[in-house]
Amino acid sequence: MIAVALLVGVSVRAGSAAALSLTSQRLTPYRTCTITATPAGTTAVSDANVRQANPTTNFGATTTYVVSSAAAANQRIYVRFDLAVCSPAIASSAIVRLATLRLYVTAVPAVCRTLDLFPATVAWTEAAITWNNEPFGAAINNPPTASRTGSVTVGTPVGCVNQAAGAYITGATVTTDVAAFVAGGSTNLGWMIRDDAEGSATTRSETFSAKDLGTIAQAPQLVVTYVVVP
Amino acid sequence: MRAGGLVRRRVGALIKLLAASLQLVPLALATGIFGAAASLSVSSGTVGAATVATPRCTAVGLTVLQNLSAGTVVSVTVGGLPAACGGATLQATVNNGSTFGSGSVAVPAGGGSVTVPLGAAPAVTAAETTDIVVLGP
Repeated sequence: MIAVALLVGVSVRAGSAAALSLTSQRLTPYRTCTITATPAGTTAVSDANVRQANPTTNFGATTTYVVSSAAAANQRIYVRFDLAVCSPAIASSAIVRLATLRLYVTAVPAVCRTLDLFPATVAWTEAAITWNNEPFGAAINNPPTASRTGSVTVGTPVGCVNQAAGAYITGATVTTDVAAFVAGGSTNLGWMIRDDAEGSATTRSETFSAKDLGTIAQAPQLVVTYVVVP
Repeated sequence: MRAGGLVRRRVGALIKLLAASLQLVPLALATGIFGAAASLSVSSGTVGAATVATPRCTAVGLTVLQNLSAGTVVSVTVGGLPAACGGATLQATVNNGSTFGSGSVAVPAGGGSVTVPLGAAPAVTAAETTDIVVLGP
């Protein structure tokens, strides 16, 4: 009888524990890693200009770089951000919600131009890249527009997304590329940015601040917003 | 003789019952100790396990931009908040590895963007982590 009573007592206690309840608030968590090209000499960010008119000259240490469409004088930008500098590290299982490339534009053209973003598929270095040895080769309008993974419009006309100089461009979304870098589906070799229609008879150019300008408020950035999967 | 036999049988039964009761004492004591121990901690085996998903006001990508002053992050602007987040409290914490800056603001009814002033201003480094939590609505 004693033993039976004790067993009943244990059962009662277990019943009480089962009655415990937990409540939680509605939480929407995000984490963002902002990579900034600072200090100017950082290796976390690599950027360079390549110029068709100077096909064997390296422009990896210039303070500004230009995207230009011109007759035999096209210019492109290469930029790469090392995601490994994010702390805590972005887990390969993380879900990238948004990744934005931010470049500070200091001069815009009088017409609206479309700039295309292509993830580089061959490694390059800031100190060695030139027009002739760049990953996508020396031919203009290559790779084709269809293979771009992002684009932005720059120019003063109404309807162009980035109309004014003296601000970071908006709309340079690279979410798909960064998601692939994080998940390991592709290697992060940065991006090449070129005019959508190189070889314009009238020169059309946009000028951006490079990391070597050393101005934090104008430094190239990559902003990655993601969700940590438990 | 019959009466004497009946007495012997009853005495024998009583002795057996007593012996059986004595055997229960250590068992009861041991069980009692077990019972007391069980009352100290909730047995996980008797607590049901369940996962309940709490609804979130958004699952899209929020834009998170740093606002700088003299090379430090003084606030962050969070954009892309849908109307479903209206009325919630948005908390932001910026961490550059050595300094934390936190703040919170209410999300307007229609969503949109909010700027969160930070209590401390972390310096801009190669990378900063910004944690965003939307509580509610």
